[in-house]
Amino acid sequence: MKLLGIAAVLGFAVASTSAFAHTPLCSCYDNGDGTVLCEGGFSDGSSASGVGVLVMDANGNTLLEGKMSEDSEFEFDKPDGDYKVVFDAGPGHAVEINGSDIVE
Amino acid sequence: MKKILLGAALISAVAMGSAQAHFQLLYTPEVMLDAPAEIDLKLVFGHPMENGHVMDMGEPEAFNVFFKGKSKDLLSTLKPITWKGPHNDAKAYEASYKVKRNGDYIFTFTPAPYLEEGEGVYIQQITKSFVNKAGLPTGWNEPVGLVTEIVPLNKPYQNYVGGTFTGQVLSEGKPAAGVECEIEYINPLVEMDANAFGKEAGPKPATAMVAITDANGMFTFGIPRAGNWGFACLGSGPAKEFNGKELSQDAVLWINATEFK
Repeated sequence: MKLLGIAAVLGFAVASTSAFAHTPLCSCYDNGDGTVLCEGGFSDGSSASGVGVLVMDANGNTLLEGKMSEDSEFEFDKPDGDYKVVFDAGPGHAVEINGSDIVE
Repeated sequence: MKKILLGAALISAVAMGSAQAHFQLLYTPEVMLDAPAEIDLKLVFGHPMENGHVMDMGEPEAFNVFFKGKSKDLLSTLKPITWKGPHNDAKAYEASYKVKRNGDYIFTFTPAPYLEEGEGVYIQQITKSFVNKAGLPTGWNEPVGLVTEIVPLNKPYQNYVGGTFTGQVLSEGKPAAGVECEIEYINPLVEMDANAFGKEAGPKPATAMVAITDANGMFTFGIPRAGNWGFACLGSGPAKEFNGKELSQDAVLWINATEFK
């Protein structure tokens, strides 16, 4: 299962190769209804559609993984306890956001 | 000798007069935001380079924000305020707006024509200002469809002293050639809480700073100082008359510049 997870991450990295020259951008918002919305993008304005997103707990265990939608968005149920979001646009192009920084 | 001196004084007085450009401000202090924020906007009509008189603004006709190609009507959010210039007070407006999502926010404002009694002409300055959230570009370089507007060719919210800014003037969507664009600077401190310009102001040019648009409606300006620079392209709009008098329907755009350090 863990191997599959790594393979998936690598897959995402390959998928976003075309964005390597650009700075990845990601912001997340607490929707106030038990869900969190993240939006991604790149500094040149290109879409983050298909870029991988991981939600991890305080120990680094993956709670959720998915991809940015067609609108470069990813919505998920807010985990209990500490968490962080990783917007993974490949090596050197990951953005990490601590759950404590995600506010309404 | 005295006569000659008096003559010189008169000439310089005339030259000073011509340097007093009218500018519609659509001002907010922070234009590059990292986190969601409620921003305050001040709408003031004055002579910010000279830190001269402030004027009673024309009644607001339209106030919108464009975000990712969608327009939102903000006219009802405007509140009248009194703005304190260094020499007088004038009617102005303020608004606040919640910026949340990442991207470019293009604020546009159209006042009713203002009668400049000294010249017997009306002035209507259709004004654009920009705010960006999180560095994501989402259309700052696109026209928003105003009757006349300046389309920036450099990011309007991120310019550097020593660099240049280029804009394209459009009238009804088409490039406007040979238009005189006055260049302005917000010289005094803008006191957001007091709704006032500070008394002190920095250096000012001897005459109005001007750029003329080329065949494609483009002008370029080299930025000498950090702060807020404005461009008013005079009479670029299609309307030429109002209430039986000449109308100067101008396109105005504001940019921000910082030291590169």
